[in-house]
Amino acid sequence: MERTATFKKDQFEQFFCLLKSFGKVFAPVRVSEKSFSFKSIESPSQIAFEALRTILPPKKFFFQQHEPILSYDENGIHEVKPETQQQVIFGVHPCDLAGLGIMDKVYTASPPDPHYIARRQATMLVGLSCMPDKHCFCKSMGTDSPTSDYDLFLTDIGDKYFVQIHSANGLNLIESMPDFFSRPEAQEDQTFKDFWTTRDKAFSSHFESENLPAIMDMEWNSQVWDDLGNRCLSCGNCTPVCPTCYCFDMVDVASLHANRGERVREWDSCQFVGFAKVAGDTNFRPGPVDRLKFWYRHKLHGFEDPHGLPTCVGCGRCTESCPAGIDDIVNVVLRLQGKPSILVTDKKKTQAGGCGTSCGDCQCDTADGDQHA
Amino acid sequence: MLSSNMSKGQERSQTIPSIAVHGLTGCAGELLVILENLEQLIPYVRVASFPFAQSSNEEDRPVDIAFVEGSVSQPHDLERLLKIRAQARWLVAVGNCAVWGCVQKGGCRNQSTVSLLHETYGEDSPIECLPATPLQDHVRVDVKLSGCPINATQLLAVTASLLRDHLPYITSKPVCLECKLRENACVLIEQNLPCLGPVTAGGCGALCPTYGAACYGCWGPCEQPQMEAMATILEEKGYDMQEVMSRLFAFGAPDELFERVKKNLTAKS
Repeated sequence: MERTATFKKDQFEQFFCLLKSFGKVFAPVRVSEKSFSFKSIESPSQIAFEALRTILPPKKFFFQQHEPILSYDENGIHEVKPETQQQVIFGVHPCDLAGLGIMDKVYTASPPDPHYIARRQATMLVGLSCMPDKHCFCKSMGTDSPTSDYDLFLTDIGDKYFVQIHSANGLNLIESMPDFFSRPEAQEDQTFKDFWTTRDKAFSSHFESENLPAIMDMEWNSQVWDDLGNRCLSCGNCTPVCPTCYCFDMVDVASLHANRGERVREWDSCQFVGFAKVAGDTNFRPGPVDRLKFWYRHKLHGFEDPHGLPTCVGCGRCTESCPAGIDDIVNVVLRLQGKPSILVTDKKKTQAGGCGTSCGDCQCDTADGDQHA
Repeated sequence: MLSSNMSKGQERSQTIPSIAVHGLTGCAGELLVILENLEQLIPYVRVASFPFAQSSNEEDRPVDIAFVEGSVSQPHDLERLLKIRAQARWLVAVGNCAVWGCVQKGGCRNQSTVSLLHETYGEDSPIECLPATPLQDHVRVDVKLSGCPINATQLLAVTASLLRDHLPYITSKPVCLECKLRENACVLIEQNLPCLGPVTAGGCGALCPTYGAACYGCWGPCEQPQMEAMATILEEKGYDMQEVMSRLFAFGAPDELFERVKKNLTAKS
């Protein structure tokens, strides 16, 4: 299904009411000078339309950080029914839609996860167009346009939003207020096309991804992994912020009440030393180099499993949230491909200026101090 | 239940598990947290001994769980600890002092015990003091629940597990995870604050960064902390290496870790 409509930006309030009629609305909200977060909102004035990436991706609405799966008491073990609510996630960019597409594959594969699916089914996804910044590389990963399972997608065409309608839920919503929406005029179709052409040319970070899995195999013993891994803090920031990191830990939590307790699923990270630790204190990935390389492989090559997909969607969250500057996927790929690239670890070797992280937040190319400006 | 094999009809005082709460050298922060949450424990345990909070305490009887706060910093701390250990089925070290030695170990590492004693209490002080050490340097510790002070939820969970004869699960993942889950803006990245979240064990819920302050490591090290990488990153942000070292180890850490990091960082510079 793909139909289109438009509505005027200055009537966004009414569109917002329409979304609210479906369920509770979540949208990016500014939480600091540079950071945003998907939060529950009551008014469109709270929405940070300029947000490119939120701290946590929208996976948090479906794959919860902390969730009881089973409970036990005197009468036995019980499945915990997932708590769901009708909800709208507004302002999801193409990379995050692609990320949810990968999460959907993982959590609906047999055996399907009832908690994930129940929440996903109660949710309307409303996408929003964006313009890339220096950390965006969705184009390189082929996730730069909305292709996955969304309901509505809004493209900013000046004084109007151009709406792509992708699901029955989305269509029902649009048809419930027919006078509000217009059919796009020819000129508006053209503006829509022009927007995406302009956006396509706006990417400053790019690499060719065709041979990526092969290159990841070839470069398994590259010095890059040692250089970067030895800087790794093992803080795990790269995994909660990743739209497709789906790993979890299970813990049994006893209650003070006799014979009662819960089995709880919590987000985990392959960057923590305990993640690959097994009986006998054996660890498959004992050091930060092993763990970092493992994570890069999952993102750019995929596991040897039925999904087998590279799971990076090019959102740039890991690059932005790594305190050590080592999750610089674009430059790592370019380096592995033997192309011009700058890595944070080059600084030591060349003693060049700037923070070396291509962070863009300081004058990397011109400053001679170490500190971020 | 720990005491379920006791015959029915005995006094409540003998049929439900007993706990003891002791403080060695520390600020009593843990004792306060336990006291504040005692109401929730009372239905399930009998408080055999808690000198900080009650006047009538059993001295020489076995207890099921002994919670011990504070470091061993005086000879009589050690005497008490050995006695507590001998009487306790489970010994739980509570708080950074008991688990890692806290500031009296970490912050005082480069000072002699004698000069500290003299500066604090005068040269003719009758007080005897030892270099501060965590409980595990002297006795077997069954559960290490760090914190400064400890987190009440973790305290209740630890007690619940021990009442079922389970060793409790206590997170040793870094503060960064809890910080990210709260979707805090990263103070290390956005503000260049010397945040120790990456190398510090979670459990606090990333309290300091949530209020815009840098984590200063009060929970002690996370599992296998990457201290050298942390030092490198702070140094690149312009922090002096001496300051970095004193921050990294202010709250106590295993001696091997301190020695390793000192050696590696000295070799580097």
